[in-house]
Amino acid sequence: MASDAHAHHGPEYLAHHFETPAQQFDAAKLGMWAFLAQEILFFSGLFIAYGIFRTWYPEAFSVGSHLLDWKMGGINTVVLLVSSFTAVMAVQKAQLGDRKGTSFFLLLTIGFAFGFMIVKYFEYTHKIHVGILPGKYWGCPGFDCGSAPPEAFFQEVEAAINAAYHTAGPNLVPYHIRTFYGIYFVMTGLHGIHVLVGIGIILWVWRRNQRGEFSKDFNTPVDLVALYWHLVDLIWIYLFPLLYLID
Amino acid sequence: MTQPQGTVQLPPQLSTIAPEVDAMYYAIYWISVASFVVIVGAMLYFSYKYRRRPGHEAKPAGHATVLEITWTVAPIFLLAWLFHAGFVTYMHGVVAPDNARDVRVRGMQWNWEFEHEGGVIDELNVLKVPVGHPVRLIMSSSDVLHSVFIPAFRVKRDVVPGMYTTLWFEATHLTEERTCERDADCPEAHFCGRADANGVRTCALPLFCAEYCGAPQGIQDSAGRNTNHSTMLAEVRVVSQEAYDRFLEEGPPAPAHCDAAEDPAACWGEGLFSQNGCNACHSVDGSRAPGPTWQGLWGSTRQFADGSSGVADENYIRESILQPQAKIVTGYSGVNMPPYRFSDRQIDAIIAYMRTLSE
Amino acid sequence: MTVEAGTAIPSSSSHAEEPNYLTHETGLKSWLFTLDHKRIGLMYLVSVLLMFFLGGVMALLVRTELLFAGETLMEADTYNKIFTLHGAIMVFLFIIPAIPGAIGNFFLPIMLGAKDVAFPRLNLLSFYIYCAGTVLALVAIVVGSVDTGWTFYTPYSTRADSSVIWMTGAAFVLGFSSILTGVNFISTVHKMRAPGLHWKRLPLFIWGIYATSIVQVLATPVLAITLFLLIMEKTLSVGVFDPALGGDPVLFQHFFWFYSHPAVYIMILPGMAIVNELIATFSHRKIFGYMFVAMSSLGLGLVGFLVWAHHMFTSGMSEYATMVFSALTFLVAIPSGVKIFNWVATLYEGSISFLSPMLYGLSFLVLFTIGGVTGLFLATLATDIHLHDTYFVVAHFHYVMVGGTVFGFVGGLHYWWPKMTGKMYDEKLAKVSWFLVFVGFNVTFLSQFVMGSQGMPRRYYDYLDQFQPLHMASSGGAYILGLGFIIMSFMFVKSLRSGAKAPRNPWASAGYEWMTTTPPHPHNFEETPVMTRGPYDYHLCTEEELWDGFDEDFQPSKKAKA
Repeated sequence: MASDAHAHHGPEYLAHHFETPAQQFDAAKLGMWAFLAQEILFFSGLFIAYGIFRTWYPEAFSVGSHLLDWKMGGINTVVLLVSSFTAVMAVQKAQLGDRKGTSFFLLLTIGFAFGFMIVKYFEYTHKIHVGILPGKYWGCPGFDCGSAPPEAFFQEVEAAINAAYHTAGPNLVPYHIRTFYGIYFVMTGLHGIHVLVGIGIILWVWRRNQRGEFSKDFNTPVDLVALYWHLVDLIWIYLFPLLYLID
Repeated sequence: MTQPQGTVQLPPQLSTIAPEVDAMYYAIYWISVASFVVIVGAMLYFSYKYRRRPGHEAKPAGHATVLEITWTVAPIFLLAWLFHAGFVTYMHGVVAPDNARDVRVRGMQWNWEFEHEGGVIDELNVLKVPVGHPVRLIMSSSDVLHSVFIPAFRVKRDVVPGMYTTLWFEATHLTEERTCERDADCPEAHFCGRADANGVRTCALPLFCAEYCGAPQGIQDSAGRNTNHSTMLAEVRVVSQEAYDRFLEEGPPAPAHCDAAEDPAACWGEGLFSQNGCNACHSVDGSRAPGPTWQGLWGSTRQFADGSSGVADENYIRESILQPQAKIVTGYSGVNMPPYRFSDRQIDAIIAYMRTLSE
Repeated sequence: MTVEAGTAIPSSSSHAEEPNYLTHETGLKSWLFTLDHKRIGLMYLVSVLLMFFLGGVMALLVRTELLFAGETLMEADTYNKIFTLHGAIMVFLFIIPAIPGAIGNFFLPIMLGAKDVAFPRLNLLSFYIYCAGTVLALVAIVVGSVDTGWTFYTPYSTRADSSVIWMTGAAFVLGFSSILTGVNFISTVHKMRAPGLHWKRLPLFIWGIYATSIVQVLATPVLAITLFLLIMEKTLSVGVFDPALGGDPVLFQHFFWFYSHPAVYIMILPGMAIVNELIATFSHRKIFGYMFVAMSSLGLGLVGFLVWAHHMFTSGMSEYATMVFSALTFLVAIPSGVKIFNWVATLYEGSISFLSPMLYGLSFLVLFTIGGVTGLFLATLATDIHLHDTYFVVAHFHYVMVGGTVFGFVGGLHYWWPKMTGKMYDEKLAKVSWFLVFVGFNVTFLSQFVMGSQGMPRRYYDYLDQFQPLHMASSGGAYILGLGFIIMSFMFVKSLRSGAKAPRNPWASAGYEWMTTTPPHPHNFEETPVMTRGPYDYHLCTEEELWDGFDEDFQPSKKAKA
């Protein structure tokens, strides 16, 4: 078992402090799972806040979710689900040693991720434009509380209230809808940051793949980035029904 | 009634719950002392007996499962008892008796306001309570977190903006009405209260703010006082039940410095006029302000917005303080004066002051 | 430990030419970009000691202000900033990273017989994230200083100025440093153990750091999201914590303590981890009930997640929650007791030497016992109501955090100093500084117990006259404590400048880390070791393994052996 630490002791991808490729792979995978565990706890705080405020202010959450466009959210859900599939395909191609296939599926995953962000961009800019914003910025188009909200703001809010209350006519806007939007922007915003970070890492893995660093024997980074991407997908799978669908 | 003595560790017991809490405290204390003596005693004895020296060698450690399980399981019984006893005592301190008298407490940076039954608001930072009768504090905060803490009663509860919290106690001993110059002049666990207008200070029990609430930037607040979390300190005065009932009926008594005044009632009224912020809307020199000036108001004929008129007599003044919207003087329709809850004696004092402005 | 046939344990006399991690590369860059866990550990050590100094200065300022009632040195506003900085620096910049970051980084791979941690680059990244967090904290001090207390309670913190954003931002960033270190250590312990090093042979130091890592990974993200929400509350006013917008300030306390209670175990478990090594080495005996002690670390980590609301018994939460959390809190006493009992039992039939690291180890037993039993007063509902937010609580957690963690850390620093630096230190000075630190600490905080039970609330700038004598005693103790640390610093600096060359195994320890050269080889061991005995199996050690480091000045007990 004793081996000389100074001489090179295995394939090129084996870092000097590991004994075997299997050890290196197991360590990396375990580390990634530990990291994902902390990611889940990171988001768990938000899910708990969501649960508490939903219990306290159900009417505000109902109106808030009717104000969101479930079609946009639905498209994004499908986009992310498919991107998870392409990520898995990239892993399989890497394990088979198919460099071109790996690159193709990594790029496809990035493409879907961009698609997600584009839809999110349209959702966000519309909300900001009409003033559907959190806390004290509720009804402040473009975070500018000096100007009155556009007509669209009142129409959308009234429509959402009527849909939520099953009424037709003017109703009071539930005060705590601003809390719903506080939670909406924090949750989807943090998720969006995770998508952006994912795009960056997948690009980096793609570049390493292009350089020929991966093979049948060594493709850990592709494996790990796919794991991360599944988590990003999974969080959205919870966000979508909680924010868009349940009223 | 003599004041009970405290111990080295705990202040005197001045509420009904205090002896119960202290019994728990000392039970844990002696358990702790016993554990400490056994553990540290064994440590010192072994350290000495098995010190490294010629001819002595360590024996390899074995393990004794029975011993391990014993000292894992045995403490559970003790801890379960501690939990139970502590919880029972705690619940005594939580559930107020039905006949408790309510006092509303408002915490604000860095003062306490106490409102008694019937809307009687005492001086800022003074809490009067009857001896031998349960009192329930219903507490709210208008800014940040505070916490009411009265060590001699062994009670504490946070005061949280956006919700009400409550606590109760029953004081068992009267506070001695003793004048003082420093804390050392007062009985144990008391402190020397703030000076009144005559510079006289009296002993009282401290009510601390126990939840950190900051300090103004720079050392003094707008009133020029050195105030911060540590000076958010109220005086608890335990009075006889008769005195408390009289206080509720008559409201806070006239301040002592007015006794010597030429017209004690007007002196008190003038104090109330400025302490309660009346001067923000009413002038006393005839100048224009959001509300009608008080100069020459007394005895004059008032024209009202609804077209009627009347003389400003006792009944009119009383009504205007308690129900400001009942009669609106022409030209002041847009002003919404809030109702003020003064006792009859306070209203008399205000009227006495008002009369001096019409002479 | 033996290694395979044909190799031998390096002897003190022959390792003069051995390459060591300090000298095999030179230059600033070889430090700043190093991937060597030992060098990263040393960089952590220097940083946390600097922060300890800074936090210590703040503590002395606080104690000096409190020498007399009323204004002594500074205004109330300044005082509030100083005690906030004392807490924030000591918690986030010193205690949490100190043992895992400095000593854990240095010794965890060596004690596992590994060449490095699983992810050396990530390790360096953790260190630089720690530095970034430190810079953010310094920015917070410069732009206005935070005066919220280290707990950042809302709505006070949401109303305070923007420096709160910088300070919470700092804690947020530091949290990620802590998480990444935890992830790294978990992988390392699971996957990098040398052949023969199965779980039942794992040094108890590793068990403690491993339990800490799990808590770091699972609790810290909750702090991160809490502080993130607080920052959002201040910038976007999302209305989660601010009662004016329909939020709940008590919710912040739940979130905050969900991290910060487990964080207490992030702080104390590594201290306990070190004490295991100290007691075993200086008693020449395996820790009694090894598996019970190992499991009690994991048990503490687990129970630590279930008791957060015991910081909130007076906060206005429901009586049911109060009852449940009080009951669960008592569970903490069981694994803590198991550790104490087993350590005392280890001394029985040992061969105990009283060198300076052991003095810290024994002090830990005394002080942690006091810290532990005073916890009973706070777990019991009836007495907690009276004692909550008084100096009793301040004294209690200082007995655990200083009497426990800092004494463990300083003991470990003495113990491993020769291995890390290759230099011995002046044992007499070490004993003098230990005495001052021990006495000073007890004077400072025993008086605070009495003050607290008499009703002195914490975070007070001014106080009633009745507390004057006790405040003076406490401040006096703090000066003695400070003097002790000054002498200790002098002793360590003197050791670096003119300390005698350290032998391979100065304490005659059976621990794995003493089997490599001093200072260690750049790859820790020249050849991957194979563990054939446990790290506390003194009866299986050869004379050469144990006593090869004999030096009359530092190991007078050799005479006993001879």
